[in-house]
Amino acid sequence: MNDLELLEFRPEGLYCKEGDFYIDPRGSVKNALITHAHSDHARPGHQNYLCSEACKPLLKVRLGDGVRVEGMEFGQSCKIGNSRVSFHPAGHVLGSAQIRIESKGLVWVVSGDYKPQNDQTCESFELVKCNGFISECTFGLPVYRWLPEDLIHKQINEWWAENAELGNASIIFAYSLGKAQRVLAGLDSSIGNIFVHSAVDSFFEHYKKAGVRLPSTQIIGSNSDQTYAGSLIVAPPAVEESNWMKRFRGAKRGFASGWMAIRGSRRRRNLDKGFVLSDHADWKGLIDVIEGTEAEKVRLTHGNGHALSKFLQDKGLDAATLRGAEMRGEGED
Amino acid sequence: MILFSKLFHDLDELTKTNARLDRLEEYFQTASPEESIWVVWFLSGNRIKRAVKTSELRMFVAERSGLPIWLVEECHDQVGDLAETISLLIENRENERSYTLCDIIETFLLPLKGMETSDRKVLMNKAWDELENSNLLPFHKLLTGGFRMGVSKGNLCKALARVGQVEPAVIAQRLAGNWTPENLSLRQILDPVEGETGFCKPYPFCLAYPLLEKPENLGLSSDWQVEWKWDGIRAQLLTLRGKGMIWSRGDESIGESFPDLLECVKALPEDLCMDGEILAWGTEGLRPFSRLQRRIGRKEPGSSMIKREPVKFQAYDLLRLDGVDWRTRPLSERRECLEKIFANLPSGFPLGMSPLIKKGSWSELEKLRMESRKRGVEGFMLKQKNSPYESGRVKGFWYKWKIDPFLADMVVVSAQLGHGKRSNMYTDYSLAVWNEKKELVTVAKAYSGLTDKEIAEFDRFVRKNITGRFGPVRSIRPEMVFEIAFEGVQNSGRHKAGVALRFPRINRWRRDKKPQDADTLMQIREIADAQDKPEDGGPKMDQSGNLLLF
Repeated sequence: MNDLELLEFRPEGLYCKEGDFYIDPRGSVKNALITHAHSDHARPGHQNYLCSEACKPLLKVRLGDGVRVEGMEFGQSCKIGNSRVSFHPAGHVLGSAQIRIESKGLVWVVSGDYKPQNDQTCESFELVKCNGFISECTFGLPVYRWLPEDLIHKQINEWWAENAELGNASIIFAYSLGKAQRVLAGLDSSIGNIFVHSAVDSFFEHYKKAGVRLPSTQIIGSNSDQTYAGSLIVAPPAVEESNWMKRFRGAKRGFASGWMAIRGSRRRRNLDKGFVLSDHADWKGLIDVIEGTEAEKVRLTHGNGHALSKFLQDKGLDAATLRGAEMRGEGED
Repeated sequence: MILFSKLFHDLDELTKTNARLDRLEEYFQTASPEESIWVVWFLSGNRIKRAVKTSELRMFVAERSGLPIWLVEECHDQVGDLAETISLLIENRENERSYTLCDIIETFLLPLKGMETSDRKVLMNKAWDELENSNLLPFHKLLTGGFRMGVSKGNLCKALARVGQVEPAVIAQRLAGNWTPENLSLRQILDPVEGETGFCKPYPFCLAYPLLEKPENLGLSSDWQVEWKWDGIRAQLLTLRGKGMIWSRGDESIGESFPDLLECVKALPEDLCMDGEILAWGTEGLRPFSRLQRRIGRKEPGSSMIKREPVKFQAYDLLRLDGVDWRTRPLSERRECLEKIFANLPSGFPLGMSPLIKKGSWSELEKLRMESRKRGVEGFMLKQKNSPYESGRVKGFWYKWKIDPFLADMVVVSAQLGHGKRSNMYTDYSLAVWNEKKELVTVAKAYSGLTDKEIAEFDRFVRKNITGRFGPVRSIRPEMVFEIAFEGVQNSGRHKAGVALRFPRINRWRRDKKPQDADTLMQIREIADAQDKPEDGGPKMDQSGNLLLF
């Protein structure tokens, strides 16, 4: 019997034979179900895409308008081949979903990336009961423990205000889809002007359409007279060491990521400040969700699942790291 | 604790050395002298010894957080720093009693020493109950010790010098050697008048920069004093009222290991300080460093050991004479005086003077430098004749013009997470070469030499290619080849491969090489054998042991 029952692990990624589709595949396949619009999950090159309705516009920003994509409302289910499929909020970023697959009397859920913690910029995580659960485990060690997001927002605003008082600009590096909007949503715009990198801006209108409240921002470079003293800039980490940064000489640099929980990650990047703000579940979040699903089988992916699977095994669960799934270092968060 | 905790977190976040220096000065201006002296002590790299064992600490944390011990260890591996790991695992509390740093030390840290494990557990839990979250990391740092918070000893002295309006060199001397907050006060450290306290303390060592450019760029060779670069233990030899002391560069008093050198005090002038090198030196002359290792760390060696492994103090600078600090005088003057002292020295003592090499031009020197390895030295030292004796590494006065290192291509077979700035990245590597049975055997560990970009790339490679886990060590697929530079090889029974490399470091990442292209153990052994063999009876020397070859 196949260990993953309804699923199998192929070079392209997770595959469901009953429905002849892949989940978050690489390469080039016929049918791709996508959990969310981050680049390590939503890759170009497939024939047909299916994702949550809320994810659809974001996926188009990522993959282009010409891509063949259909969206499903959260909770709505449909038949694909001999399987029944539905999307459920994962609480990771706007439109992110766990994918529930039911066939042959069994239910498996593929979590994608998720977090049960509160986040005002996306749908709240929904716990889905299942027989088998494929869970991410990016932060699968008990040293990762998140504080409530309003505390982090408070830290960010205090830091910004402190820098602004000295006439310095503040730059926060945050992934352009999800984290950037989450940072922005908590900013106190009475402190100063807010600027964003164009990559961050490209997802804005879809957040606004989804009813997420964000402060008003200006795009960097849209106006050559822009001055940045006292303002806050949100930019993707990819520009951290690029020429684009030259215009902000002397600015204080912060990073919003779960990796900032470890001082070495901050110091290595020579950052002024690290904000521990993650879109993934922390250790307790992972355990609560995994136990909450009541799954008999748990398979871990996206992270170093060694410790978590051993911990779950000790509790009597059938847990293991997903064979073939690659280990990740400081990936996107 | 608030003052210190704030200092700790600020120093941890500040990215510029000068900003850290300012912050430290500000702290010393505001904190009480009783508290400050402890901070000086900790920042000098001291720790409260035997306060708690790492294994105990992990056990207490595991019990308190309801986690299995292996998981606490796993966390420690990932984070890289024990104090930080514990701080992340202990539940947050917000109900601190207001402790000062001195309270913390007296209530929690000092009593831990000598306690039974069960009492220690009670006390540690009390600390965890009563300390606020942001104070946990600084507290755990004090507990585990050995931290710098981005402040070098030189900068610590600079900050104190600014507070007390005293020369940093004076502060450095007062902080040298072994001291505790019980026997040294902040007032003594900052005393504007030079008291008698520092007499038997070493001066901060003057350190050399590696010569990276052509020697011609240094100007006329006649402006430079040229000596061989000795391969021994750098040390200062001091005399006072008929007694002697020997200090190593690590600020350790090592006289106990070298009673034969302390004997020389009888022959030396009063209240003197010389800088030099302790060398293994037999009747045949200079011996390799490995012979000296038999003496290092062995306190009060027996007479047979002293006879079998004789040593010699090779002096090269004079820092103090008759109680007068000579460091600001030009090197040429210091050397002249040193020569006079040695001229009056009775024979039969294991003392020598590092000979000057009086070759005319840089190109002649360059040629002579090629003989270094055969002579058992590491190249040349170049010291500007007009220079004062500086504290620490100062550019422009002292250069080491070393011989090129040995190089070998080796396969990376395992990796371990680094510490501090490199924690939670795989930065410590074990390197292997092929033995006669075509197996890879580990011959070295290397930590430095890759760029930050290469480290990040290699870290990703490690994570995808782990084949086994042994405690914190991850064996990895043997696919990558590094070119390793090292200064020498010794035959060693302690190492599985039978050899030990000196100062191995990564010279470059050989992406063009496959593991099968790596070097063999035989090649490494040949270097060791060549080094251990004395060169036909060793160099010739005069009665007091000075080489006559130059």
